Amino acid sequence: MKGVVFVELLAMAEDAFGEDVVDTVIDKADLAHGGAYTAVGNYPCEELVKIVDAFSAHSGLSPELLQRKFGHWMMGFFGQHYPAFFENKSSSFEMLEAVDQEIHVEVLKLYPDAELPRFETDRTGEGQLEMVYSSPRPLVSFCHGLIEACVERFDETAEIAIETTPAQNNSTTFRIDITGR
Amino acid sequence: MASEQDDRVSRSRYEREKAARKEAEALLEGKSRELFLANQRLSEHSEILERTVTERTSELRIALDKAEAASAMRARFIATMSHEIRTPLGGLLGMIDLMYGDETDPAKRELLEYAKTSGEALKRIVNDVLDFSKMEAGAFQFENEKVDIRALIGGVLALAAASMPGGESRLRSSISPTVPPIFAGDATRIRQVLANLVSNAGRYSTEGQIELRAFASPHEKGALLRVEIEDQGIGISAEQQKDLFKDFTQVPNKLTSAAQGTGLGLAISRRIIEGADGKIGVFSEPGVGSTFWFELPVEVLETTQPSKNNGKTKLREVKAQVEGARILLAEDNKINQKLLLTFLKRMNVNAELAENGRVAVEKFAPGKYDLVLMDVAMPEMDGLEATRIIRDSWPAEKIPPIVVLTAHVLDAIHEDSARVGIDRVLSKPITFGDLRDAISEELGAHDTPDHHTPRQFGSRPAIFVHLSNPILEGLIESMSENEVIALVEEFVIDARRLLAAITANLRRGEAEAAAAEAHALKGMSGLIGALGVSELAGQLEQSAAYLDADSIEEVIDALSGQIDKLDRALSSSTE
Repeated sequence: MKGVVFVELLAMAEDAFGEDVVDTVIDKADLAHGGAYTAVGNYPCEELVKIVDAFSAHSGLSPELLQRKFGHWMMGFFGQHYPAFFENKSSSFEMLEAVDQEIHVEVLKLYPDAELPRFETDRTGEGQLEMVYSSPRPLVSFCHGLIEACVERFDETAEIAIETTPAQNNSTTFRIDITGR
Repeated sequence: MASEQDDRVSRSRYEREKAARKEAEALLEGKSRELFLANQRLSEHSEILERTVTERTSELRIALDKAEAASAMRARFIATMSHEIRTPLGGLLGMIDLMYGDETDPAKRELLEYAKTSGEALKRIVNDVLDFSKMEAGAFQFENEKVDIRALIGGVLALAAASMPGGESRLRSSISPTVPPIFAGDATRIRQVLANLVSNAGRYSTEGQIELRAFASPHEKGALLRVEIEDQGIGISAEQQKDLFKDFTQVPNKLTSAAQGTGLGLAISRRIIEGADGKIGVFSEPGVGSTFWFELPVEVLETTQPSKNNGKTKLREVKAQVEGARILLAEDNKINQKLLLTFLKRMNVNAELAENGRVAVEKFAPGKYDLVLMDVAMPEMDGLEATRIIRDSWPAEKIPPIVVLTAHVLDAIHEDSARVGIDRVLSKPITFGDLRDAISEELGAHDTPDHHTPRQFGSRPAIFVHLSNPILEGLIESMSENEVIALVEEFVIDARRLLAAITANLRRGEAEAAAAEAHALKGMSGLIGALGVSELAGQLEQSAAYLDADSIEEVIDALSGQIDKLDRALSSSTE
């Protein structure tokens, strides 16, 4: 997993809990890299899960909630650092559709060895989008947060239903129903 | 928060950041190295690619050069071979003709007929292949000369009639007055197309009229000539028409079992016509007949004379321009002398005769003549040599136009002529009209004579039947019928004398001398239109070197027979 996710996760934690708390939590969690991450590096996903669990234990917030919060945080980060991806997009659906079709294409150009999740989209009706997230990583809530933040970013409101895709491991379907814009 | 109380970060945070930076730097270094190596591979790859492209390009160029050279060599080989075959083939066909003329046994005559048909077919193939290879080699060039389509059609039909059973009565032509008398074009190529279409019409039909029609309509270039050749033969299905003008295709012909040719005739015709910006095509219905047509935009050099009067006025103008001109005629042959001097006299020209090239050089002086007419083959000094000496001896502006008269193969003479500085080449047989036109043009008159549509003769002397029509017309334009008869009489005497000389030389084995005499005989018989004699003499000229004793006797007998025929016709003409 790209180092930038780790760096931003710790940044969010610092923002929420303060540096001292982050220092303490990291020291306690048994991390292979000693909690030292660089945005250009690559680290195993398990460490990310460990960090989330450690902060969950520390704060009493569920790991799922923390992942969702982190999804919001990352959407802000993307908007700030990669505004080009948001240009020419007029709705959250267009943005979500672009993840597989545009953004990951660009990511692979820079990092040919990146293991990217798949996001298949399907507009099932007026204001309805089905997004199937396929990844061996347990980051469903993180994706949930990202989708929520994306809807907000385009000044829309939506109901998001999550269900495990039947007969398919490591796959989750998000049903997004736009309720207002 | 800790940071608000103390600006310093914790030791563990510092260590973490240091470790992260170190890792980032290591990663960066690794990436730089990777980038460098990738770039290096890319350069190598592009270098190899460039080298490969260069190699391939040069390989391709070599292959192309080889292919072109091979193709050129093949074209040259075919052209040379075809040309080489033509000469002995001419001899062969001539011999067959002679044998056929003498043979009385019907069975043998039939065999000879087959031999002749096959020989003619072979000749056609060789000619087609030669033309085709010239076209393929891009060596096919169009001449731009004056074309008299009426004379041309007359000639083509006369030849076709001779080689087609019942030809005389089957061939008909009608030429509309809209067709310009003279236009610019390549007479040889137009003749070839006409001959091909007429010969096809004959080969693909056993009976019925073959009609040749020509007319013209206005066109931005001058006129659009349209010629149609209609037969009542086996016809061509729509399916077959598609491929008709493609290379090496032909319609299966049930009419004859003999060799049919290469299937190149129409392809060549198409290339010729399209090469001259024209169109060629066919309408046909199986079992009813075919009409082949072509259209050719032509530049009109002379418009149709609306009335006879105009023509006469023009003729008078031309006469006035030619009249009184001083002309030196270098010609050794007695018949040609007589004929050309008569022509010149008719034009009211002051002609002076030189018996050969040497005499011509002696007689020539600047300002003495307005024009020189020079035969090529003459004893002591030939016309080309004489021209060269005259050109070398006097400044160019003091030399009048020099016109060469020849019965030789044209291309070679044209080349030689250009080298020695000859202004114009006239090919024998030369008609009165040709000569007058040439003289008037070379003298700068730049006017055009009138051209008659073929003249109808009332009761004609018997001898005229044996003479070629266009040539006879030329003769009658300048002489009375009696004068023509007198000329033929003189020709017969001269031809006998020449034939005796040829016989003597052949028997002595002096083939070269015999060939030269045969050439002279060909020239003078061509001049008066005795085409039978001319043809045989031409064959003799070509084949003198390799004839055996038996064949010699046969050719001489045949020639003698032809001359006798003229003689007999003369006696009945003068009675």
